[in-house]
Amino acid sequence: MKYIARELTENVNVSKSHPLAELAWLAGGLLAVVAILYLSLWWVADRIVPRVPVQVEVWAGQQLMARFPNRPDPQLTERVRNLVRLLPAASPLHRYDFSVSVMEQETVNALALPGGRIVIFSGLLKQIESENELTMILGHELGHYAHRDHLRGMGRGLGMTLALAMLFGQHSQVAGMASNLLIGMEMRYSQQQEKSADAYGLDLLVQTYGHAGGATDFFLRLADQDEGKLAYLLASHPHPQDRIAGLRKMIARQGYAVGPTVPLPETLVHQSRECP
Amino acid sequence: MEFIVNHLDLSLFAVLVTVGYAAGTFAERRHYASILTRERAQRQFQVMNAEAYFAEGRVKNSFMVSGSAVISIDYFKRLLAILRNIFGGRVKAYESLVDRARREAILRMKEEALTRGADMVVNLRLETAAIGNAANRRGRIGSVEVLAYGTAVTLNKT
Amino acid sequence: MIVTNVNHVPGRKILEHYGIVQGSTVRAKHVGRDIMASFKNLVGGELKGYTELLQEAREEATQRMTTQARQLGANAVINVRFATSSVAQGAAELFAYGTAVLVE
Repeated sequence: MKYIARELTENVNVSKSHPLAELAWLAGGLLAVVAILYLSLWWVADRIVPRVPVQVEVWAGQQLMARFPNRPDPQLTERVRNLVRLLPAASPLHRYDFSVSVMEQETVNALALPGGRIVIFSGLLKQIESENELTMILGHELGHYAHRDHLRGMGRGLGMTLALAMLFGQHSQVAGMASNLLIGMEMRYSQQQEKSADAYGLDLLVQTYGHAGGATDFFLRLADQDEGKLAYLLASHPHPQDRIAGLRKMIARQGYAVGPTVPLPETLVHQSRECP
Repeated sequence: MEFIVNHLDLSLFAVLVTVGYAAGTFAERRHYASILTRERAQRQFQVMNAEAYFAEGRVKNSFMVSGSAVISIDYFKRLLAILRNIFGGRVKAYESLVDRARREAILRMKEEALTRGADMVVNLRLETAAIGNAANRRGRIGSVEVLAYGTAVTLNKT
Repeated sequence: MIVTNVNHVPGRKILEHYGIVQGSTVRAKHVGRDIMASFKNLVGGELKGYTELLQEAREEATQRMTTQARQLGANAVINVRFATSSVAQGAAELFAYGTAVLVE
């Protein structure tokens, strides 16, 4: 047979579509899938979380948090326990073993971790000037426990991480990055959750001191400050002005008295000022 | 600016994807241009993957020739392939990868045959091997090796 | 288009040949299939999804190869060989190649 040299006119083995168009399609599809997953997880978490027994949560919290050093602050821990003692006997919070630790970090925030571990950043402690304010903040965190807000967020975060690992494979960089972002997002609570936690804290404050003095002091101080410094808090909480307005409305509705505040005991002031 | 600092890994990822896209597209275009000119230059050289039968005394000499090429995927196309893996279907990102590797391997085989004075290559075989099988895994390289081999034949000039 | 995997087209005489033609495609199954397959791995048996995928892909590769042959003006591809390789995790490449010829 004779060889005839001919040239191929086009390359059939490579698709003609533009790679950027394909990326747009795929990324859009992925976003849709993630959105659907997220909404269904939200729905499931809302139904499961209120039914998780506290014992299970405490156990899971210990498993999860075993890796992080926990050096509870005895003074603050005692304060939280005193607050819990004020609660009615039926309150599920009695089943937690609360501990409060201080983390050396400039951010103005506190975290409610599963299993009753409250973490307060030293940046927040520095802003506090009276016992009443401290009680308000601790009460606010207890409110998150009472409403199981921390579990909702954790559940969704874990669910999303799992789903992403399934989508991309466990070791994929993409999955790792996406879950980091999502877990960060999930540690936040909704505005409504923050509001009910504030209400919970306010009630505890009134039960402790007999009046609502100092409830808004902390937020007033924050509201005066530069917003850039509070970026972290603002990203996760309603604006201090809104919280003040909300708290004032609650105080008025309940008819709480507002009395003088008690300054922080020397030991705590000392500790909070010491932080770099 | 603050966003970039806060999401360092995300920013790094975006940079890598952009660089991967720009550099990968440039390299691919250049490679295809080189493949096309070389293919045109070697067009008269015949290659087939069928066996050939020659009349007695027609063949002067015969020997094995081979050519291989390892071509790697760029970061952008790897992302495309990972996403495509979720939805299924044609992985277009990898098509040009294997096409380039294959044509390059055949070209190199032909070059070897030509420099050794062959007139044709018969019984061509192509082998493909994926190096770094789990191409989407962290730290692995997604690349493909193609080996082309065949029997080069030198004919007696009549 | 006649496609054979022997050296000739049985019963016909080859007049001319145009060199190698090739067709390839890379395919992936969607994640649902992958998950089902991993369950199937527990009990063994045929992975229907993957059989289908590879079959489809092989057909497409053959079709791309014959398209190339048509471009060259051939009416048959002889000595066709198939190859499968996993280019990436979860994606398979199907590849077909042969010699494009003109038969009488």
